[in-house]
Amino acid sequence: MPFSSSGADDAFDYLFKIILIGDSNVGKTCVVHRFKTGQYNEKQQNTIGVDFTVRSMDIDGKKVKIQVWDTAGQERFRTITQSYYRSAHGAILAYDLTRRSTFESIPHWIHEIEKYGAANLVMMLIGNKSDSVDKRQVLFEDACTLAEKHGLLAVLETSAKEAQNIEEVFTLMAKELIARNTLQLHGESPPNSIYLDSRPVIASPSVEKSQCLC
Amino acid sequence: MFYYSQRLEMKAQVADAFIAKFQLTPDEMNLLRGTKDEPITEDFFKALGRVKQIHDDVKILLRTNQQRAGLEIMEQMALLQETSYERLYRWTQNECRTLTQESCDISPVLAQAMEALQDRPVLYKYTLDEFGTARRSAVVRGFIDALTRGGLGGTPRPIEMHSHDPLRYVGDMLAWLHQATASEKEHLEAMLKLVTIQGVEENIQEVVGHITEGVCRPLKVRIEQVIVAEPGAVLLYKISNLLKFYHHTISGIVGNSAATLLTTIEEMHLLSKKIFFNSLSLHASKLMDKVELPPPDLGPSSALNQTLNLLREVLASHDSSVVPLDARQADFVQVLSCVLDPLLQMCTMSASNLGTADMATFMVNSLYMMKTTLALFEFTDKRLEMLQFQIEAHLDTLINEQASYVLTRAGLSYIYNSVQQHKPEQGPLSNLPSMDSVSLKVAMAQFDRYLSAPDSLLMSQLNFLLSATVKEQIIKQSTELVCRAYSELYAAVMDPSNEYKDPETILHRSPHQVQALLS
Repeated sequence: MPFSSSGADDAFDYLFKIILIGDSNVGKTCVVHRFKTGQYNEKQQNTIGVDFTVRSMDIDGKKVKIQVWDTAGQERFRTITQSYYRSAHGAILAYDLTRRSTFESIPHWIHEIEKYGAANLVMMLIGNKSDSVDKRQVLFEDACTLAEKHGLLAVLETSAKEAQNIEEVFTLMAKELIARNTLQLHGESPPNSIYLDSRPVIASPSVEKSQCLC
Repeated sequence: MFYYSQRLEMKAQVADAFIAKFQLTPDEMNLLRGTKDEPITEDFFKALGRVKQIHDDVKILLRTNQQRAGLEIMEQMALLQETSYERLYRWTQNECRTLTQESCDISPVLAQAMEALQDRPVLYKYTLDEFGTARRSAVVRGFIDALTRGGLGGTPRPIEMHSHDPLRYVGDMLAWLHQATASEKEHLEAMLKLVTIQGVEENIQEVVGHITEGVCRPLKVRIEQVIVAEPGAVLLYKISNLLKFYHHTISGIVGNSAATLLTTIEEMHLLSKKIFFNSLSLHASKLMDKVELPPPDLGPSSALNQTLNLLREVLASHDSSVVPLDARQADFVQVLSCVLDPLLQMCTMSASNLGTADMATFMVNSLYMMKTTLALFEFTDKRLEMLQFQIEAHLDTLINEQASYVLTRAGLSYIYNSVQQHKPEQGPLSNLPSMDSVSLKVAMAQFDRYLSAPDSLLMSQLNFLLSATVKEQIIKQSTELVCRAYSELYAAVMDPSNEYKDPETILHRSPHQVQALLS
């Protein structure tokens, strides 16, 4: 029969817009590419402006459609990328754990989000290129401290190259957004105080602890 | 008897098989005919598939001696197909009409419906039109809401909150449209993903074009307002670049199928560019209206500094602009000629009443400022070369001025002129007035003082030069001129035909020594 039910992944319970930001060349596009296609692109070109990707995920039996807006890290696109913050539900801030400077710009990126994004936007920090730990310049503890200081959802060390923690990043973000959405629907008050213990804990696949929930 | 019943049974079996093969079950019939309000389900498509299959299979009968049955079944199936398609179309049409929320959930059944409808091009097209119309009004409403109301509970804030910041305002609107266009295309792709006929991509582009047509008017009105309010050349330029960028980005999604949205963006791009150049020209013509005198330090005038700042800002936003290289280069030539040519004219005019050295110094300084401003940016090579030529012309003037300044102050000017103009028929040089050995010795004493402190004889203008390299070049080349003059003088004095007695006591330094002292 030609009429199969292959369209099942279209219906969704939630639609979340997530923006991916961070300095140039930290691997944002590779992370999205890995998330979308499961593949890794060694020679990724610089992103021009903003790219768009959609993927559906199944989270606790709910169909979640995730729109990822992958922004250019280069300074010259700053005025353009800022405009995408306003409608985003979540922001993934990326740094390159082998380049200290990209980590040091994170507060700047947080500031940008606070300036241009919605007030209840969920932020999450990822340290990419965990496949090159021998060149590590940013301690995971430092990232956790920073995340805690700014009230970020979590920190994860990822590798787009070796497919580490990529799925987890988006799952974690989606779960948090679902939790907040449900709360909003039920009209419950100050979000920050309630679902501290409702957060999922995902076992880190690497030897060292590469995830912290703040 | 037994044989007979066996035959009957066999006949019954054949008849059953025939019916199973060439007729629908009552359930299937019901599914297809349905009632008006009954939803379309998965099973409907299975039944529809059966009808199609039977319609195809029944052709076998036409090749046998069962032609009549074949024709009848064929007609029956054709009729049934029409009824089912009509019912499917009605349902799909209704389904599309409900898709007016900003977030649009394409159900799997809708995708299947489109797959089925592709066999009926007219119905397929009508359905797409219906979908387009519904989405078009959803997008317009979404856009207006984003502009004026923002999201639920006020976040994100309405875009118009930032209308006082033109770049952000325009950028936010265009980014919203980019996101909406990408999402709409996504919906269409989901809806048509099972469709296999040719031209699906074109269908998608056409419908996205239609969907995004509705926002053109509100978009245009707002951007026009921003542009016509003349937020200044730099902002206009940035806005024009932004529009260009989004034209490029959005056409990547909708293709170039003459989408009205793209045309609108292009129009706004051209308008902003036009107003931008108007603003630059206006600035330039103001320069010519009010030519200032050069400042006492012969440095760049405030009008020059101000204009160069403007140019720098424009070029900086140009450099960081996101439009393709060739388009940027074309803009560039226009920007430069729009600003630099009047600027050069202004400098020349304001320098016109000055003395030679003052004028040359002022021009060198002004040109130098232009050059250092441009040198930071791409595509300026030609302009830089031209500026360098102009600087060199004024440098020559300054070199000559400085050399004659030294000769005059050292008292050699008159003497050197006499040497140059001396002709043999005038008799020996030493007989000419003020060219006797005593006069020469007096002059030489002065020249010696210069030799011991060459820096004491610098034209005051040279200290006003902004570029140390230029200043050094002038000193070096003017010194060479002085040395050359001395060599000529030396040769003339040493020449026996000029009848100086003991010439070595008059000019006790050889040209070599002079050169060594001065270098």
